Amino acid sequence: MNAPNHHPADETLGRFAAGAIEAGPRLVVATHLAGCPQCRARIRSFESAGGVLLDSMEPATLRADAFARTLAQVEAPAPATIVPAARDAAMPAPLRYYDLPKWRAVAPGVRWRRVVLPEAPDANVIMLKVGAGQRMPNHGHTGVEYTQVIAGGYTDAFGHYVAGDCIEMDEDVEHIPLADRDGDCVVLAALEGPLRLQGWIARLFQQFIGI
Amino acid sequence: MTAAPSADDMKRWLAAVAQDQDRAAFGRLFQFFAPRVAAFMQRAGLNASEAEDVAQETMVAVWRKAGMYDPAQANVSTWVFTIARNLRIDGARKSARAAAGVAVLSYETPDVENSAEEDTLASERDARVRRAMATLSPAQASVLKLSFFSEKPHAQIARELNIPLGTVKSRARLAMAKIRAILEQEP
Ligand SMILES: [Zn+2]
Repeated sequence: MNAPNHHPADETLGRFAAGAIEAGPRLVVATHLAGCPQCRARIRSFESAGGVLLDSMEPATLRADAFARTLAQVEAPAPATIVPAARDAAMPAPLRYYDLPKWRAVAPGVRWRRVVLPEAPDANVIMLKVGAGQRMPNHGHTGVEYTQVIAGGYTDAFGHYVAGDCIEMDEDVEHIPLADRDGDCVVLAALEGPLRLQGWIARLFQQFIGI
Repeated sequence: MTAAPSADDMKRWLAAVAQDQDRAAFGRLFQFFAPRVAAFMQRAGLNASEAEDVAQETMVAVWRKAGMYDPAQANVSTWVFTIARNLRIDGARKSARAAAGVAVLSYETPDVENSAEEDTLASERDARVRRAMATLSPAQASVLKLSFFSEKPHAQIARELNIPLGTVKSRARLAMAKIRAILEQEP
């Protein structure tokens, strides 16, 4: 895969580095990072900034026995580490470690599935597979939509995106993605904030999840 | 009041923990980091007791992972920060299954190989960022802190300042892009 052309905003990368980003967008950004050395380097700069901030904190007062309790804990045997197994090796890391249910048809040429995050079961994360040359129905949404292109490519009024690209779409923006003609387009998409969708995606969620 | 430990002191202590399970060295790391991690977590919105729990869990992880620390990749402070950050992440501490989910969210899974560029820059990065942080304007410093300490900064600020959310977002993006450029500037 070539280096991606579209990246999350620095502001998003900063929140990712800080751990201050919702679980759904975090998965989308993490999947982007796995294929983007440039953004990994940016994240590392923000993590270094986190280290500097940590050093500069005014120390809090801990309970008197804090160190003794920590020592007692390190003397206890370490819990077994769970080494996650890839569930779908065709998917990029870390998405491949998640439960990915079967695709379901939702519109002509459009299939979808919901990705359930064990760390955040309520997160609004879906994958869409749009057939070659097919148009995804027009949709708008509230909250920022984070999209990572997994395979193929698509075009909308704002640009052309291919595998590896990450797109942040602000709320109240309507777009009509058109899949490239040379194959299926697969995307991973997450919404930030409470689910207040309009139109097509809202109907989709209502139909299948009962929200 | 003793002087703050140097980056090299910390590396030495951590190596002693990794090689000899040296409790005195661990005690020095604890004395410096535990109260600061707790303070950081309180700023990030946890109550005093939760913040202390995260600090304690962070130090337990420091002990257990000491052998995995690579001084060429980051300062000890940055490394401890990332451990605490992962423990802060919502849901990570609720169950082993959830923790595994968060663990794979690390972009440093075995699937990802660092580029040569990333590795070469690693040893210089902390020092460069530390110098750059000192040059941020007070406004830039507070934008940076906001993203570290506030879970949902945009909607809150929009409400407080009574300006549209989209405006807050575009300003925050511009500010952070500028800050990132400063952090990555060669001296
Ligand atoms: Zn990128």
